[in-house]
Amino acid sequence: MQAKLEADFTLDLRGESCPYPVIYTLETLEGLNKGELLQVITDCPGSFRNVPEEAIAHGYKFAQDPVKNGQEYIFHIYA
Amino acid sequence: MKSSIQSIFQRYWNPYLVLLMAGILSALYFGLTSTVWAVTGEFTRLGGDILLWFGVDISDWQYFDMVHLQGATWNRPDGWIVWGMFVGALIMVLLSNSFKIRLPQQKRRYVQGLIGGIIAGFGARLALGCNLAAFFTGVPQFSFHSWIFIVATGIGTFFGAKLTKTRWWKGKPSLTRGNAKPTQLKNRMIQPYVGGVIAALYIGLIIYFFASGQKLLGLGALFGLAFGILIERGQICFTSAFRDLFLVGRSVMAKAIILGMSVSSILMIIVISIYDVTPITQIAALSTFVGGALFGLGIVMASGCETGMMYRLMEGQLLFLPVFLGNIIGATFLAYAWDHLGVYNVLVKNGAKINLLETLGPIGAISITLLMLGGLYALTVYGEKRYHQKLAIKRGMKVHAS
Repeated sequence: MQAKLEADFTLDLRGESCPYPVIYTLETLEGLNKGELLQVITDCPGSFRNVPEEAIAHGYKFAQDPVKNGQEYIFHIYA
Repeated sequence: MKSSIQSIFQRYWNPYLVLLMAGILSALYFGLTSTVWAVTGEFTRLGGDILLWFGVDISDWQYFDMVHLQGATWNRPDGWIVWGMFVGALIMVLLSNSFKIRLPQQKRRYVQGLIGGIIAGFGARLALGCNLAAFFTGVPQFSFHSWIFIVATGIGTFFGAKLTKTRWWKGKPSLTRGNAKPTQLKNRMIQPYVGGVIAALYIGLIIYFFASGQKLLGLGALFGLAFGILIERGQICFTSAFRDLFLVGRSVMAKAIILGMSVSSILMIIVISIYDVTPITQIAALSTFVGGALFGLGIVMASGCETGMMYRLMEGQLLFLPVFLGNIIGATFLAYAWDHLGVYNVLVKNGAKINLLETLGPIGAISITLLMLGGLYALTVYGEKRYHQKLAIKRGMKVHAS
């Protein structure tokens, strides 16, 4: 487990199924100011792959490696 | 040893590899049984079973005659494909300790799931197959109806994606300031043991089928299991193949599906010539187009098609209960509308069964099929490029010279 990061915002997507996690994540990142840190908590297995891949494809950077927390994943992404 | 077990059960598998295997297995299944990997036909029969159970007289419904509604779902190989897929997906979910009851925060999803499920179930059966029999296993049968279906599904999905993006449809997510706490974990891990027990019982059942001479049921149960394992581990989502291209310019699933179909088509030519079996051809008619478009719209509304909803339900995504129910309602309603509401006369009667293998011969059929798949691949790559170009322009306009 890496050092705890202080996120500016948290997007809690637990329970939502695809494609909503990836849509919500990209839209939220778009709305934030550049450099702000977004924490995303998601538990839809499809989103474990499409959220990080699409965040990167859309030009955002990860603050640290994705964290697997039981049946959910936590991502830290810079807007 | 531990690391190899971890990579099998802790990580999801590469979708290209998974669809390649699914393509090979479905060609093999056809060679062994002369039936294809399909699910919605059985959903219609389940609807028929339920109607019979409630005492409805369905003896004059032509559609049930056409899909051979006989016996119980436990006595049908197609039934075991469906139950095998559920069981295979469930075993994988449990072995990887990833089961969790997941309830959408947006309550509107349940309504969207039910309505989308009904539309997708109705559309799939109108077109005589879903993303399997009229798509993934339909193209390798050289049945021309699957070509129409693919185009129509693409169009339906496009409008579905438009709908998904509207504010009132998607709803607002929960965005809070600062950090939020992740879920507290339990130390006890029982899911893999439950998964192991279910796997052992199910393998016992397959052995029983073969030992008691019920070879077709055994093959259905075995291949169903394999397909269930594959779609769950690969997170294979036909809904996302078109949709995500429109939504976020994502192309992985579309490319993997096209690759799987290409390999399956080549194998099928070999299987058909060795075993001398006749490919399964469905009617290509206006109904194929209308059904495909409805199917494309419905699966995006429901967030999952008839195949994807199976493993998602097993993962504990309860949204897919109304989707499953909707699929059966839609398929059953189509069976009713087929002759009682004149669907057959208006949309199907003027169609014809066109098989490329018969009209063009083996070389012609495989060449044109691979050409079509190549074109589809090129379109996918183009769609992805165009999305990212537009994105770059949109972003560029926000950077002002000051």
